[in-house]
Amino acid sequence: MAGKSYVRWAFLGMALALGLMLAPSLLSAKIQTHAPFELKTEDGKIINPLTGENADQPYSPRQTCGTSNCHNYDQITKGYHFQQGWDRVKDDFNKKKPWVLSDGMMGKF
Amino acid sequence: MTPFMFTMAGDPKNPAMPGCGSCHPGGGGLEFDRDGKRYDQRLKADPALAQSLDGDYFKSAWDKTGVVEADCFVCHLPGYNFKDRIKQLIFQNFKWASTSASGIGQVSGTIREGQAPKVVYNKRLFNEDGKIQLDLSGPPPSENCTFCHSFSDMRKRGFSWNDRKNHDVHNLRGLECADCHWAIDKEHNFAKGDENVSSVRDDLDNTMKNCRQCHEQGFMGAPRPAHLSVRPNHLDKLACETCHIPALHRAASEGFDVTTGALVSYAKLGAQKVGDYFDWKPRYARKHKDGKVWPVNNLLPVVYTNQDKDGIYYPLMAREIGKGYEKIKGQLKDKKPNKPELHTPEEIKLMLSALSETLKGNQRFQQIKPSYHKGGQIHYLNGKGEIVTAKDETWCGEGEGFNINHNVAPASQALGANGCADCHSDAGHIFTGKIVTDLFGGDGKPKFVTSGSLIGAADWAFQLNKIYQLYITPIVSWGILFLVFGLVLHYTGQGPKGADFYGASGEIVRFSLKERWTHLVRMLSFFVLLFTGFIFFYNNVTLLQVFFGSGQEAVVFHWVAGLIFVAASLVSLGLWYKDARFEPYDKEWFTKHGGYFGGKEVEVPAGRLNAGQKVFFWLTVVLSLIMGVTGILMIFKNSLPLTLNFVLATLHGFFAIIMVAAVIAHAYLGTIANPGTWRALVDGKVSRPWAKKHHSEWYKEIGEKKD
Repeated sequence: MAGKSYVRWAFLGMALALGLMLAPSLLSAKIQTHAPFELKTEDGKIINPLTGENADQPYSPRQTCGTSNCHNYDQITKGYHFQQGWDRVKDDFNKKKPWVLSDGMMGKF
Repeated sequence: MTPFMFTMAGDPKNPAMPGCGSCHPGGGGLEFDRDGKRYDQRLKADPALAQSLDGDYFKSAWDKTGVVEADCFVCHLPGYNFKDRIKQLIFQNFKWASTSASGIGQVSGTIREGQAPKVVYNKRLFNEDGKIQLDLSGPPPSENCTFCHSFSDMRKRGFSWNDRKNHDVHNLRGLECADCHWAIDKEHNFAKGDENVSSVRDDLDNTMKNCRQCHEQGFMGAPRPAHLSVRPNHLDKLACETCHIPALHRAASEGFDVTTGALVSYAKLGAQKVGDYFDWKPRYARKHKDGKVWPVNNLLPVVYTNQDKDGIYYPLMAREIGKGYEKIKGQLKDKKPNKPELHTPEEIKLMLSALSETLKGNQRFQQIKPSYHKGGQIHYLNGKGEIVTAKDETWCGEGEGFNINHNVAPASQALGANGCADCHSDAGHIFTGKIVTDLFGGDGKPKFVTSGSLIGAADWAFQLNKIYQLYITPIVSWGILFLVFGLVLHYTGQGPKGADFYGASGEIVRFSLKERWTHLVRMLSFFVLLFTGFIFFYNNVTLLQVFFGSGQEAVVFHWVAGLIFVAASLVSLGLWYKDARFEPYDKEWFTKHGGYFGGKEVEVPAGRLNAGQKVFFWLTVVLSLIMGVTGILMIFKNSLPLTLNFVLATLHGFFAIIMVAAVIAHAYLGTIANPGTWRALVDGKVSRPWAKKHHSEWYKEIGEKKD
């Protein structure tokens, strides 16, 4: 009996130590499981690989993320990383350097 | 480059190197043309556009490749396969890229090879109802940001993240990119720092917290720095990054050369290639926005332009330069074909002459006048076909350098953590470091200047200050100690001069109330200057904390006391200049050394002030003037050139040492060495025997006046 008790305490100790080790990483984790969602083709059709429905089509981020009032795709893609100057391209953007058409990577050279 | 070329740009042989489109997350110019129409739909409706000169459609196949919609997973999916994205874009599988790179499905077949790509989804990711379930990260994981930024920013400034060899103290504390560069609006624009070089979207600059804001507010637990051992003006004139990023450990690019028509990137001198583990120290530049000194990396350009009729220097395109190089490469002896490094006037003339020919008929230009820009110089051919070299004042010569603002060292490694000598010594890279200004000068070797000269510190001024900092400062304590020891020896050997005659009758007023007040004010203000100056001299943080709390407060005390001292000195000049004029009898005083040596008392003639006091008076007048002028100028040192500040600080410090030594000797002679003297500065009176003994000529003068 005394031996079994010793093993039980050893397991409990190990579990506690493991918990303490994992706790910080669990607390600091920013990754979350996104609610399940349907993939859609660029025509807005549902892709269901399990039934084979449109399963030969690539999914469309615009239709998948930007519809059903989930994320405002058009608004988000106005940001710099998506436009990279494309929305600000002008022929007379920089008169001293006429080859520069925007202040982004698109239109810079 | 057309948007279609932009999207698929990349090297198929090096799929780890992102092309333009790979680092563009999609949407914007990868989805819509300049009229706001989707490329694929418009080209399907009007296939002739691909044959037109419409830049958005020229030689494109959007109708087959599809467009690149904004791929949310580029940022939000941990483990996103960027290499696969690069590959898919090079294969022209634009609309399949996200499906493949996110790992949701496998894509086979390529548009580039004329195939129809096929998708096979990973069914393990889907629930029974056909919905997909993924682990996503709200703020993007740093790995997703650095896939693109590690390439571009490594080259620009030696930046890397999650890199134990090129550490960053914020990274070591667990911060992610998005902790500082968070989304500032619903458009997903991210908080941006302050970039010296106008690169992209300057209007978004300074939308993130800077070092000072985080660390003064304790944002996210940021420690509040006291900086007690740092001179206040250093905090005004140096960016935080200057001291806190003393070195980088991955090779950035030193510059680039486009002579062959291809971009040849030169790694930091001594490194094999960009990104290699390599220790280097930054160049420093004064930022045009705030005038502070910042660590930067200057990518030294070796580029070609053509000055058109409008006077503008237009950059030549790679293919235009390449044509010229093809023409002359056979004539270049002992050159590596991929790194020709043109540096002699003959080589430069050869290339410019070739470009003058190959550019003929170029419809972009109304005038052919090619120029070669390198090492801050512009080279061009004059009317006679001779090479002309001048300082490059075109846009190519504007080299401010990319800010270095990541890879922050722990505070214990910051410049100044080991004292002033971290900078103010021969080992101080910020002044003595060798900085490349030309990748290959006239002799083909790199040209260097000292780092200090780039921020306005003349080498001679730095050396002058260094002598003071390194060689004089450490021995000052010993010097003062020896002086005091010498005075003790004098006192014990020679003894005090005569009696103080306190008990004698018939006192004479030696100093008026005005004179005594002037001396008192001068003495008290000197004590404040001495005390605060001592703290500055030795960077004594303990005394600073106990008496002032901050360096700035001590500085203000020093300024105020200094101004009072200078004013009192001017008053004393007016009060005593007549008494301090040298008289013939002073010669005897000097001959007999004032009667202070020889072990026995010797009578020496003296006026109201003895010759020694006259010397001290004029010495302090001169020293007060030097200290006053240098000190008052230093109040405005933030507006003065660095070279002048070095000179002022050196003079101020050096003459302060002399002044302190002189005052110690003066105090000794005015108190215990000559009993009764001090009393004259308290109640202004001396006894007649004292006056007769110490100032015989003055005593006679008084007697004559009375008679």
